[in-house]
Amino acid sequence: MSYLDKTIIEINKALKEGKTTPKELFEQSIERAKKYQNKYNSFVTITDKYEEKEYNFNNKLAGIPCAIKDNFSTKGIRTTGSSNILDNYVPVFDATAVKKLKENQINIVGKTVLDELAMGGTGTTGYTGVVKNPYDITRQAGGSSGGSAAAVASGIVPFALGSDTGDSVRKPASLCGLVGFKPTWGRISRFGLFPFAPSLDHVAYFTRSVEDSAVILESLAGQDYNDYTSSNKKVEKYYENLNKDLKGKKLVVIKEIIDSVYDNKVIACFNKSLDELEKCGAVIEYQSVDEKLLKAIYPTYMVISCAEATSNNANLDGIKFGNRQDGASIDEVMFNTRTKGFGEFIKRRFVLGSYALAKQNQEKLFLRAQKVRRLIVEKVNDLLKEYDAIVLPASGDVAPRFDSQSEKLSDNYLIAENHLAIANFAGLPSITIPMGKKEGLPIGINITGRLFDEQTTLNIAYALESKLGYKNMMGGNK
Amino acid sequence: MISIEELKDLANRLKFDMSEEEYQTLQKEFEIILKQMDLIGQIENVDTVEPMTFPYPVSASWIREDVEQEGLEIEELMSNIKDRMGNFIKVPKVVG
Amino acid sequence: MIYEPVIGIEVHCELKTKTKMFSPAKVNFGDAPNTNVNAIDLAYPGIMPLINKKAIEYAIAASHVLNMKIDRDLWFDRKNYFYSDLPKGFQITQDKRPIGSQGYLMVKLPNNDEKRVNITRLHMEEDTAKQIHYNDYTLIDYNRCGTPLIEIVTDAGIRSVEEAVAYIDKLKSTLAFIGVSDAKMEEGSIRCDINISLREKGTKVFGTKVEVKNLNSLNNVALALNYEIERQSKLLDNGEKVAQETRRFDELTKQTVTLRSKVDAVDYKYFTEPNILPIHLEEELISKVIDSIPELPESRKQRYLKEYNLSDYDASLLLQSREFSDYFEKCNNLCKQPKLVANWLLVDMSSYMNKENLNITNVNIDYQRLAELITLISENKISSKQAKEVFEIMKTEDKTPNEIVKEKNMIQVSDEGLIISLIDEVLNENPQTIEQYKSGRTNVLGFLVGQVIKKSKGQANPGMVSKILNQKLNS
Repeated sequence: MSYLDKTIIEINKALKEGKTTPKELFEQSIERAKKYQNKYNSFVTITDKYEEKEYNFNNKLAGIPCAIKDNFSTKGIRTTGSSNILDNYVPVFDATAVKKLKENQINIVGKTVLDELAMGGTGTTGYTGVVKNPYDITRQAGGSSGGSAAAVASGIVPFALGSDTGDSVRKPASLCGLVGFKPTWGRISRFGLFPFAPSLDHVAYFTRSVEDSAVILESLAGQDYNDYTSSNKKVEKYYENLNKDLKGKKLVVIKEIIDSVYDNKVIACFNKSLDELEKCGAVIEYQSVDEKLLKAIYPTYMVISCAEATSNNANLDGIKFGNRQDGASIDEVMFNTRTKGFGEFIKRRFVLGSYALAKQNQEKLFLRAQKVRRLIVEKVNDLLKEYDAIVLPASGDVAPRFDSQSEKLSDNYLIAENHLAIANFAGLPSITIPMGKKEGLPIGINITGRLFDEQTTLNIAYALESKLGYKNMMGGNK
Repeated sequence: MISIEELKDLANRLKFDMSEEEYQTLQKEFEIILKQMDLIGQIENVDTVEPMTFPYPVSASWIREDVEQEGLEIEELMSNIKDRMGNFIKVPKVVG
Repeated sequence: MIYEPVIGIEVHCELKTKTKMFSPAKVNFGDAPNTNVNAIDLAYPGIMPLINKKAIEYAIAASHVLNMKIDRDLWFDRKNYFYSDLPKGFQITQDKRPIGSQGYLMVKLPNNDEKRVNITRLHMEEDTAKQIHYNDYTLIDYNRCGTPLIEIVTDAGIRSVEEAVAYIDKLKSTLAFIGVSDAKMEEGSIRCDINISLREKGTKVFGTKVEVKNLNSLNNVALALNYEIERQSKLLDNGEKVAQETRRFDELTKQTVTLRSKVDAVDYKYFTEPNILPIHLEEELISKVIDSIPELPESRKQRYLKEYNLSDYDASLLLQSREFSDYFEKCNNLCKQPKLVANWLLVDMSSYMNKENLNITNVNIDYQRLAELITLISENKISSKQAKEVFEIMKTEDKTPNEIVKEKNMIQVSDEGLIISLIDEVLNENPQTIEQYKSGRTNVLGFLVGQVIKKSKGQANPGMVSKILNQKLNS
């Protein structure tokens, strides 16, 4: 038995009682990381340098090993964004989220694989190879934070940092049986997170329990004078305030989204979850949202995120940092660097984004997408005036196989697999937790709350988790 | 339908190239997304609302004062630079 | 055919802040390469822009003196293009909503006519890195990268080279006067892009415009515009078309040459910068900034003419710079002798500064000491000759004029009784001189005055001495 198999709260108790040490945890974690690397490919870089320090175990994160998605700037540790163009980039500063974790005496065991520059949802486009799902290595772990999800789901670390622009933490959490939380836009500083689409980007993370998620939020949240968009709203005592009593809470289910979910097992697990939530005192109602708006989520997301991304990644030219290629002129250097440095998938997205921003297209594409975004956000906020949270299946099915040809263009797929982006459009706190299993593979449920009301979102998840019993789940036996 | 040449021009202006096959994939992708965006045009009121940049209405709660902070050490700055000459970053000739 | 030029001017002006527009790195012209660079300036992945409050205040001040409307909400946009001097691959600027709009500047032309130049917009943005080009490589220095800029754009209402030059000159001195910029064209802190087209005089249609980029002196502005007028006239006279293009001025040949055709114009794909939340400008901040703007030269000049009775020439010289004018005002506030202060500043002080290559900000005689000296003169405590002596000593010693006067025993005797008794003594000793005077040789008066002053050991007030002597001799 290893204490690594426990949650942060449990590990902290063991550390306090002297049953294990941070060094032992770190070494076990590195050992697992190395052992599982071939199997799941969670890591771009494993950092096996341990530094002894004076720990204060009153801080629940002290001595806990963790993994960081490789799109967070880590001082002195190579950070690639899983892109060949940054193969040799060693940042000179820490992202604020990383800095805060270090201040909380967390130990970093490695940097995890993502879809190249976080632009993808499969965990398959990183330049160092695909990430495999610990529950079934013939299946995706999801993306873009696939490496972080696999590292937590395989028991290498109890917690890993990720980022969520469309659903990049909450979807892999669903596919890997984890708790994946993205708080309100502005709640956690994005300084040092490689931008994909700043108006949608969120720092987010994986844990194996809602309690752990609350603890992590307390340490990451707060205003940062390096991030102009970070909020000065007060940070609550999320862990202490966790409450399973949902009396008086009103939850809403969007009918059209449920209708788009075609898998019976998912629906059965979801209905069971609703029953359990009612048992905790919550009132659940169904409401309708125009299907046209729901179908618009995916193209709206693509246009906005690709447009912002093409601009954000214009800094990657090999001049100031990164994997510079040779060329006879500076223009050739940039051209060769970007041609060789970027994978096909993200190049296509850059072209799309650039097309959407072009003068002659901007009104019909980029600005129209921003307008639809407003319509969607207004609709959702209308619902949240009446309800405390929205509850939906996080995904229409279990993790897809690598060779599966999903019906990406079907209306059902379009809604069921993309609705999590609503929380990015509106910046709302949104959490995915496991709600059941289908043939041994996890299925997740998503709860999205009001702006800056992380506590209610966490409380609903906490109540449901305790009723369902899907806590501290791990894969790895296949 | 958007032509391969047009896509190639777009890519080249972003300072990269792709293979013929990749351009064809991209062309198909464009067709789909542009069709979807056309459908969006049918949504009621879509062109009467203001575009939304930020997820919720918010304005800045602080502005940086004009106080100098220590910059990067020159060796720190150079640590990720491929080619240098003294304190300068050296690159091949800039044309135009 | 007689043509009329139609000219519009874009001025880029570096703001005099301590730090950059979006990073806390130092702004300082002439430091060692790449020593004033922050992670933000290098566009490392994950950095975010941190806007400079002072730059906003300067933009407000500039907008105010250019009579512009000030947007109460600031929005920033990205201007996307690839160039090696632009680390992010985009410049943060204000495209859709400039901070200042719809203003004007009154400009005095060489023939003394006044011209109103309309200014359509003033917006904030950031400067690029400096590149030094060699035959087969280029060196990059990121020190300048991110320096705050304001861009000030006129409408196409400028109609002559003189108007263009006068406008830029006035704009330059105004921005320097209110302290938002050094406004030195030779150091690159002011750069101009000029749009010019020609049309048949008397018509209303616009011709094809040509943009001349990066003009770095008033002289070059005039040369480039005159060259363009001549070039475009010839083309039109020959029935040829003027190509719509961007040109640059070649300092060696004094000609403009094609830089790029407008056909290759870059689409900058502007969109709102998602990392800078809108900034609401509180009325309190705006009025604080406006209140701190110094009185402008025109208004000061009127005051110098009317209240101080100074000549137009002297008033203009006192307004040669904000610092000079401030020195004058502070000095005058202490001694209330505008004419004397003006004289001392424009004669003695100016020749001293010229000789020692000093300026009013680093000269070692501060306004307090000069005011004290002038007070000694105006209260007849020392003669102007003595004052010059004191001034000489002030150049090399830190002592106050009063200390010097005391040390040198220079106090001027203005005691009438004492002077009369000295005069009586001198008259008694020189009866024959009195005779000479009375016989018409009035020039001997000087001799007598000299004798009296000598008796007083140089301390008798010469004015008083000659006045009383005159009275006595003519009584």
